[in-house]
Amino acid sequence: MKSHDLIIVGAGLAGMRAALEGVKAGIDVAIVTKIHPLRSHSCAAQGGVNGAIDPRDSRESHSYDTVKGGDYIGDEDAIELMCHEAPESILEMDRMGTPFSRVEGGLIAQRAFGGASFNRTCYAADRTGQVMLHTLWEQLVKADVRVYEECSMLRLVTDAEKHVAGIVVYDIKTGEVFPLRGKAVLMATGGYGRVFLSNTNATTNTGDGMALALRAGAPLADMEFVQFHPTGLLSSGILVTEGARGEGGYLINVHGERFMSKYAPNKLELASRDVVSRAEQTEILEGRGKNGAVFLDLRHLGKEKILERLPQIRQLAIDLEGVDAIHDPLPIRPTAHYSMGGIRTNMYGASPLQGLFSAGEAACVSVHGANRLGGNSLLDTIVFGKITGKHCCDWLKGKVLRNFAASEVDEVKSRIADLKRRPDQGVRPLALLQRTAGGMNQYFGVFRTPEIMQEGLAKLPAIRADYEKMHLDDKSDEFNIDLLRAFELGNLIDLSECIMRGAVARQESRGAHARTDFPDRDDENWRKHTLSQWDPGKQEVVLSYEAVRTVGKAEYAPKVRTY
Amino acid sequence: MPVNTYTIRIQRKRKTSDGRIDSHWKEYSVKATETTTILSILEEIKGEQDGTLTFRQSCRSAICGSCAMKIGGRTRLACKTHVGVVARDNVVEIASQANQPVLKDMAIDIGPFFERVHKITPYLTEGPETDAVTEKTAYDQVNHVTQCIMCGSCYSDCTMAEVSPEFIGPAALAKAFRFVSDPREGQKTKRLRQLAEPHMMWSCARCAMCVETCPKDVKPMEAIVKLRTRSVAKGFNDGPGPKHALAFHHDIQQSGHLNEFTLMMRTVGIMGTLEELGTAFHLLKKGKVPSLFPHKSAGLAELAKIYEILEQNPLDVETKAKEVVPE
Repeated sequence: MKSHDLIIVGAGLAGMRAALEGVKAGIDVAIVTKIHPLRSHSCAAQGGVNGAIDPRDSRESHSYDTVKGGDYIGDEDAIELMCHEAPESILEMDRMGTPFSRVEGGLIAQRAFGGASFNRTCYAADRTGQVMLHTLWEQLVKADVRVYEECSMLRLVTDAEKHVAGIVVYDIKTGEVFPLRGKAVLMATGGYGRVFLSNTNATTNTGDGMALALRAGAPLADMEFVQFHPTGLLSSGILVTEGARGEGGYLINVHGERFMSKYAPNKLELASRDVVSRAEQTEILEGRGKNGAVFLDLRHLGKEKILERLPQIRQLAIDLEGVDAIHDPLPIRPTAHYSMGGIRTNMYGASPLQGLFSAGEAACVSVHGANRLGGNSLLDTIVFGKITGKHCCDWLKGKVLRNFAASEVDEVKSRIADLKRRPDQGVRPLALLQRTAGGMNQYFGVFRTPEIMQEGLAKLPAIRADYEKMHLDDKSDEFNIDLLRAFELGNLIDLSECIMRGAVARQESRGAHARTDFPDRDDENWRKHTLSQWDPGKQEVVLSYEAVRTVGKAEYAPKVRTY
Repeated sequence: MPVNTYTIRIQRKRKTSDGRIDSHWKEYSVKATETTTILSILEEIKGEQDGTLTFRQSCRSAICGSCAMKIGGRTRLACKTHVGVVARDNVVEIASQANQPVLKDMAIDIGPFFERVHKITPYLTEGPETDAVTEKTAYDQVNHVTQCIMCGSCYSDCTMAEVSPEFIGPAALAKAFRFVSDPREGQKTKRLRQLAEPHMMWSCARCAMCVETCPKDVKPMEAIVKLRTRSVAKGFNDGPGPKHALAFHHDIQQSGHLNEFTLMMRTVGIMGTLEELGTAFHLLKKGKVPSLFPHKSAGLAELAKIYEILEQNPLDVETKAKEVVPE
């Protein structure tokens, strides 16, 4: 049976950054990824990465902005750690080769981003994630890290003592199913944006790591907090970077009014994302939108600035929306974008499930609280990729491989055989995905109403029943994407249950979770993390709560959040 | 926008038990508007008509590089290609990328493509030539090529790769230029020396197909030309590639014409020229051998001026007209 000291699942920024720590520590580390590392969705992050690298800025200010941005539910020790490590982590990427944009004199250029009190977002034009991803991949090649490319994880395996023993891998290229033993598993599988039908995410962002961790007994935290990005393109949901507003872009309604002055008189378009998304949705609901969208207006920036600073998004809008930002405002709307929730970990990325670690969007450390600030997600990946990787290597010392029961592989194999054998009962995977994810948009969107949420939750049993009837056309072994998607859909259904139950239970509005019946934040009763766990007896997700970790600083005390 | 009915002809490919690829064309009918992307159409076919249809995709926004495939005879990203642009009489033909082994339908084996990229030492290396970054413009050359998303389109459409599988290909060479042009790179000269070896930068025939086909405007051939310029400047003039380029340069500068006979001599030497005599006779029969004593072109002064401008700024050679942005 193949084995490694550390198995990292996912080859985006967090996974690759963690792997480099494994190399440095001299342990046997391997990455398992269902797509080639360069295809990972980190590449789609456009705007930049936050860090107080300017002497006039401070790490304290960055921490304060992040605590406030997260609506006082982020864990303060982890936030301070992230903001403290930010400058060094960014400079490290620079040394590895990331070509960050520069100012005269050669220092790294920084731009304004939402919810930040200083222009602290380092960027490389509007493709920061892409160049960072390519840089870490280069380092991975240099270090000759073993990568199981186009291999999907279908199960997280624990032993009788509930200690992680490894994973069951499905090689997409050949259809082979094999066990991979590891002393520890680090989930860096990204977010669950695909739970929503309208989203900015890659189709591969199906939260596999979270869902399999949930089924293996690990708690997920704060799943109801899903960030709706204020500027998803109307027809495809594809992201237009917050950098576009950072460079001075306006949000206007159908009458051409800059409506943000009503909602965030000081920060206007650069208020926190949850605030801007709710403002847009309100404009749309009150009839001041067009075809369910409002507009991002860049025209006044001028052709030159658009071409220099935002070339990629200009081209994207031409390709996907047929609109040239130089001449016309872009139709945009709030679109599911980022998962604040994830595998619950401590500030070093360790989950309560022994041997399980997590970093990046897959994890809930929690540094983003109820709402992530733009530019903090890339930061999260490189800081906690590094910290978790390092912590994991320390933890591994003296640990041994756990018992990996052969039955685990057999069960996955028989599940595959069952899926392929199923007769056609009229349930196609795409239709079921559209029902599940479409429902999440309909019942658990920007604003959440109790009756509507209940209606959504009531549909879950039928979705689960139909999932068991779903029929696949493709019966082959090689490159069976039909089969892969069937497993991914199962993961999405589990994660949507976490979101639904968490949202129904949380009787307040905080960050990205906006209840129409409880419009205010309730710190007395709800300043706490929601934990979701799979109850194998009940066969459903059950909730519990955990206190926010605070550090006792007066400036972090919850206040009314205005921008 | 009006809805049209498109016929999507897809080359379906399957591996047989003996390892061969069995292929046939299959037609699907889909309703779409002109601006519907090919990826949306493929997803609709897979989701509603035929779940066995296989292709890679992920980001849907032309940044992950998964969905490059032959669409209407040219390699394109399915996610940014509008059906209206590629359809002829409402028919679109789709197949896997060329020049690479196929696994199934449009899913190719990406291994050989990345093996080529691995060959150019694809990471910054330390060494004596490391410079500090002190200018705002430090990465102007780097930026162009770091737009590359490694989708493989250029390799799939590369006319040289088609006849010479040993050729390292445009994407790998563009990546090599990314390091050679980075002030922080410590071993620029060593890289240039390696790139002057057979099947590397001098094997490119400069057909500009990669410039045309690249979905991210990386212009790999321009990077190749820039690599060659830097390599010659370092004095790596051995081998038929640089010799040919220098002889070419000499002839044009002197007379405005190529002297095909001496060009050959200077590129491959006497023995090499003798080997090509058969070809020469063949050309002679067809009346395609120019005079051995070409006259000087009119307008040599103008030519001299072009050279003067190029030599002042050898790194900014544009091989594709700048995109016109409408006012």
